[in-house]
Amino acid sequence: MSDNVLPGTTPASSRGVALAARGVTKRFPGVLANADVDFELLQGEVHTLLGENGAGKSTLAAMLCGLYQPDEGQIYRSGKPIRLRSPREGLAHGIGMVHQHFRLIPRFTVAENVILGDPKQSLLMKPGEAERRVGEISERFGLPLDPRAVVSDLTVGQRQRVEIVKVLYRGADVLLLDEPTAVLTPQEAETLFATVRSMTSEGKAVVFISHKLGEVMAVSDRVTVMRAGRVTGEVATKDTSARNLAELMVGRPVEQTVRRGTGQTSATPYLEAHAVRLADAGRNVLDDVTLSVHGGEIVGIAGVAGNGQRELATTLAGITAPTSGSVRVGGVDIGGKGAKAARHAGLTFVPEDRLGTGLVPGLSLTDNMLLTRRRSFFVNRRAARAELAEAIERFEIKAPGTEAEARVLSGGNAQKVLLAREVSDAAKDGDVRALIVSSPTRGLDIGAAEFVRELLHQVRVDGGAVLVISEDLDEVRSLADRIVVLYRGQIVLSGASEELTVEQIGMAMAGVKE
Amino acid sequence: MNLRIRLERRMHQRWWYSLLAPTSAIVAALCVGAVFLAVKGFDPVAVYRALFEASFTSLYGITDSLSVATPLIMTGLAAGIAFRMNLFNIGAEGQLYAGAIAGSWAGIALGKNLPPVLAVTAVLVLSVLGGMLFALPVAAFKAYLGTNEIITSLMLTFVGLYLMRFLIYGSTSFWRDPAVTNFPQGKKIANAAWLPLFGSYRTGWGLVLVVLVAFAVWALVKYTKVGYDMSVVGSSPAAARYAGIPSKRVVLGALLLSGGLGGLAGGVEVASRAHALDPNGLALGLGFSGIVVAALARYHPLGIIVVAVFLGGLRNAGAALQSMPGQRVPAEVSLMLQGAILLFAIGAEIFVRYRLHLVRRPAVTK
Repeated sequence: MSDNVLPGTTPASSRGVALAARGVTKRFPGVLANADVDFELLQGEVHTLLGENGAGKSTLAAMLCGLYQPDEGQIYRSGKPIRLRSPREGLAHGIGMVHQHFRLIPRFTVAENVILGDPKQSLLMKPGEAERRVGEISERFGLPLDPRAVVSDLTVGQRQRVEIVKVLYRGADVLLLDEPTAVLTPQEAETLFATVRSMTSEGKAVVFISHKLGEVMAVSDRVTVMRAGRVTGEVATKDTSARNLAELMVGRPVEQTVRRGTGQTSATPYLEAHAVRLADAGRNVLDDVTLSVHGGEIVGIAGVAGNGQRELATTLAGITAPTSGSVRVGGVDIGGKGAKAARHAGLTFVPEDRLGTGLVPGLSLTDNMLLTRRRSFFVNRRAARAELAEAIERFEIKAPGTEAEARVLSGGNAQKVLLAREVSDAAKDGDVRALIVSSPTRGLDIGAAEFVRELLHQVRVDGGAVLVISEDLDEVRSLADRIVVLYRGQIVLSGASEELTVEQIGMAMAGVKE
Repeated sequence: MNLRIRLERRMHQRWWYSLLAPTSAIVAALCVGAVFLAVKGFDPVAVYRALFEASFTSLYGITDSLSVATPLIMTGLAAGIAFRMNLFNIGAEGQLYAGAIAGSWAGIALGKNLPPVLAVTAVLVLSVLGGMLFALPVAAFKAYLGTNEIITSLMLTFVGLYLMRFLIYGSTSFWRDPAVTNFPQGKKIANAAWLPLFGSYRTGWGLVLVVLVAFAVWALVKYTKVGYDMSVVGSSPAAARYAGIPSKRVVLGALLLSGGLGGLAGGVEVASRAHALDPNGLALGLGFSGIVVAALARYHPLGIIVVAVFLGGLRNAGAALQSMPGQRVPAEVSLMLQGAILLFAIGAEIFVRYRLHLVRRPAVTK
């Protein structure tokens, strides 16, 4: 670390520096998560940490809030060097993190969750006092919440508010929000942005972690872009554009390609669901779902996570038996008849959980190629190995070898192996007609994601029927010919992609009826 | 404290780790045993030398060790085939008794009317079926009701033990020899049903048979659809469901196979050594030792052969220790060492999977 720069100061700005990192490095086994990272957060600003998955944003945030300690480098709070051994020490310095995955106790009330673990809390709890303060905080920052409500009754958006209130209650002036919009509808995200602005207007500083360019442009004052553990740029939002940020993020210009089918679709649908209902513990996880996918088109299922997408995928793939209704592939009823029957009828399925469901982590890649193939009594690995070697070359899969365990693959490479297995199967047979893909590009870097989308497009052009289930609305809109919105297990909106606006889809995802 | 230990998952498993772990477990167990022996006033070096000489230096010693290793290979395979799927059938002991009961029935009832090859085959086939039948509740409850197989298989072991004792000591059953009036004994199986020994040595065709079975299990695991399905179900039930592999049937089959191998251990013991249903001579803890064999071999069917020979030698030497000139070392020393080896082998697993780091916390910048 150089000594000629006064640590924690910034000559460029008159505003005080709330939090800074200088020359911070963090290593994990086999990964350099952060390499010599500099970061600076001014008082009263929204500063976005932008980067692809695995770029090191979350690692940096974790060090800023005390979850990890840097291997090298120094964290400064208001110009003073600090060492945070735990998130609790971070909070003592007024730094609080709102995690992507909520850490709330569902059976407790909002107020109880907020005071939970507060070191200042005395042995005898004073719920009335806490409820009053929670009410105050939520009003002041536009976070409507009933302090007495039980968390399990709250929506995802409300739960996030509880997390934010929790951090504010502890007196945080610096808030780190880790991908806060990932679980929100567009409308809920707007509410969150308003809250963020009201917090900064009171002098609080917010670190906003995201990889969604649109919202980054909308909400932040400045952006620090990371790639492969390093900072690749720090810009003021008013001086930049989404395209420019994307270039900094991936290191080369990218285009948001919109791909559409040829319009020529098969006469009969290849994949059909008719009045499918799936009950789980007295609740309809899927309710009267009717949809069809023809050869030559991509149908996209949009929706906020947890509205029945997972169950829809396994039901259409023949793995989960519907409580009522029918599922057909190429006219053959496969509902609940198991994966083999569905495959036999011409359906392949790429599940959302790649390592663990789609691939067996402990088996070799060669053996994984055999997972959904017909196997004779003696396992024929030679053909699988050859096919895998070909896929490794064609799909540019980075793998230590055909006999390496699947667990060593990164998300993107695992997805490529999976697609190679399920799609090449389709191409070879000729009569295989339907493909279901769940979260096709989640966790992938932009390059791999583009590759996957192009591949799905190719399946469509070749006459296959593709059903894409994704929580990434942009992705659904850029790929699908038709969009179906799922809310609480019901289809609440469907139509041609061109004819639906983002607002319409967003309202439908939130369950708002027009 | 500025120093702490950190575990890191190894990215690459090198092949020799799987040899290093059991070897260090054995060395560590011998060291602990040495301390124990020294405290009790014995000379550890002399004891270990006597142990080694008794089991591995003379042809008689080696063949005796092999005769003890023979059932251990079978029980090791029984445990290993289930354990590698995370199905902890620890009841090979009881399945061995069940196999011995069924096998000795065949040897007594069918043996005298059949030519030798068929008579031996009858004993072995029946013992496999006996073991499977005994494992059936374990397998079916596990597969269809999710019952904990560790508990059911362990409890059934006692059912097997008392059933065997009842058949000889508690009743005038088919298995009991009516000619013996003083201390009850099992009826001898027909000579035709004996697995022949090599000359005057105590090992014979039984060993050849179990080694062949070990190779067959190895091939099954490595080269067949059955083995493949077992690996998938064992390591990722969600993937099995996704692939359409019938997990319940695979679990059922694997536990039955495990039980069958345990039963065969009993059959081989009856046909090559006991020659009767002998409650004392069969209840030696061979089934439980199989767990140690399997763990030390890291469930590899061919590794099981090597480990069984080593542990067989250790057990075989127990008797020799007692007769060491000038020192009356208890025979239990060999069992104590076996137990210590298991503990260290389980402990060593963590070093195979993880790398240990001693981390010095960075000095606080003030």
